[in-house]
Amino acid sequence: MVSAPSPTPEDFHVTATALPEPEHLTAVANRPPLPVKMVIAGGFGVGKTTTVAAISEIEPLTTEASITEVAAGVDDLTHTPHKTTTTVAMDFGCITLDPTLKLYLFGTPGQDRFGFMWDDLVEGALGGLVIVDTRRLDDCFAAVDYFENKGLPFAVGVNVFDGSLGHDLDEVRWALDIGENVPLVLFDARERGSVRDALLVVLELALARAER
Amino acid sequence: MVGSAATTEGPYGSPQVRPLRPYVMADDPPPPPLPAAPEPAPEPEPPAPAPEEVSTRSSLAVRPFLLTTGRVAGAAELPLETQVVATSDGLAALPALTFEQHAIVAACRVPLSLAELAARLRLHLNVVRVIAGDLRTARHLAVYVPQASTAQDVSVLRRVIDGLRAVPDSRGLPRDSDRPA
Repeated sequence: MVSAPSPTPEDFHVTATALPEPEHLTAVANRPPLPVKMVIAGGFGVGKTTTVAAISEIEPLTTEASITEVAAGVDDLTHTPHKTTTTVAMDFGCITLDPTLKLYLFGTPGQDRFGFMWDDLVEGALGGLVIVDTRRLDDCFAAVDYFENKGLPFAVGVNVFDGSLGHDLDEVRWALDIGENVPLVLFDARERGSVRDALLVVLELALARAER
Repeated sequence: MVGSAATTEGPYGSPQVRPLRPYVMADDPPPPPLPAAPEPAPEPEPPAPAPEEVSTRSSLAVRPFLLTTGRVAGAAELPLETQVVATSDGLAALPALTFEQHAIVAACRVPLSLAELAARLRLHLNVVRVIAGDLRTARHLAVYVPQASTAQDVSVLRRVIDGLRAVPDSRGLPRDSDRPA
C-alpha cells in the first residue's frame, strides 16, 4: 500500500499526465482496437487453458462470470422454464493482431455436465474451436451441440498429447456424429503454431460462410 | 466535475434487487444479507488514498454485488470484449470516486476489455459491467460496444486471418513459411 499522505487532486493530475508512454503512443493507445473473439470449448481438463496460453500474448487471465444452467434432462426443460445462473471461473487470453485489431480467446468454463449455456461468450464470436481428448470423447458433446444450435462456425480439434492418437480421425468423426462440413483437425495445444493453424481453420470456415 | 446523473437508473433500465447467490470464499464466515432496497449508494468504503495498489487487493472477501447495491447487469449486457477507456473527465474526477470506481477508471488509462478489467481487479464480471455502466452514465468512461454483426463481416474476418497467419509459431515462423503453398 502506498503511504501517500492525503493526496490532493493535483497529485492525481500529475500521475495521470506522467504516464511512461510518449505522447504519440498515448494517443494511439487511447483509441481502442476493434475487439473480436473466438470461443475455445471442450470438456474439463481437455486443454482449453493450455490452448489459450499457447497463443495468448498475456498470461491467461481468469475472471468470475455467470453462465446459465438449464436443466440437464431433456424432458425437464419444459417443466423448468426458469434457468439458474451459476458463477464460474473463465479463462481467456488475447492477441493484438495489429494496433487496431485485437483477438480475444475465451475458454468455456470447464464442466463435465450438460446443460450449460454460454450465450454471453458466443454472442458476436467469430467462431469456436471444440477441443477433444479421444479418451473422453463424450466430454465435448455439449459444446458440439451448443455450437451447432447456435449456428456458430466451429471446428473440432483433436488434442494430441504426446503425439498419440487413440482413434483414427474417421472414427472420431463418426463417434461425434458431425457432418463433413465441420472441419476436424489434429493439433497440439502446447504448440503455438499448431493452435494458430487450428484457429485459422475455424476462421476460414467463418469467412466462407460470410462470403456466401 | 461533470454533473452526475443523480436520478438516472443506469444504462440497464431500472435497478434490480434480488437475493443473489454469488460465490463466497470457501472459508468465509456466513455473509450478511444484501440490502433490501437500493439505498442511495452507500458505497462500502470512502475513497481510500491508495489508488495505485489495486492489483494486490483481493475484493473477493466482499460479496460482489454489495458493490453494486444489489444490481445485476440486465438484459442489454455489454459483451465481454467491450472496450472501455477513461475519459479526461474521469481521470480528473479520480479523487472523488469510490474504491471500485476509482480502480476501474485508473486501470482504463489504456483501453481494456471488460473481461480484462474484471480479471485484473478481481471483480465479478457482472459487477464490472454494472459499475462501468454507471461510470459511462457519469461520463467518466468511454464505452465502445462492439457490434455483433462484426462476426459476419468479410473484411474483418480477412483482417483477422491475415493477422493470425503472421503470428509466428514457437520456432518463429509465420503460417505461410513453414508449408508449401
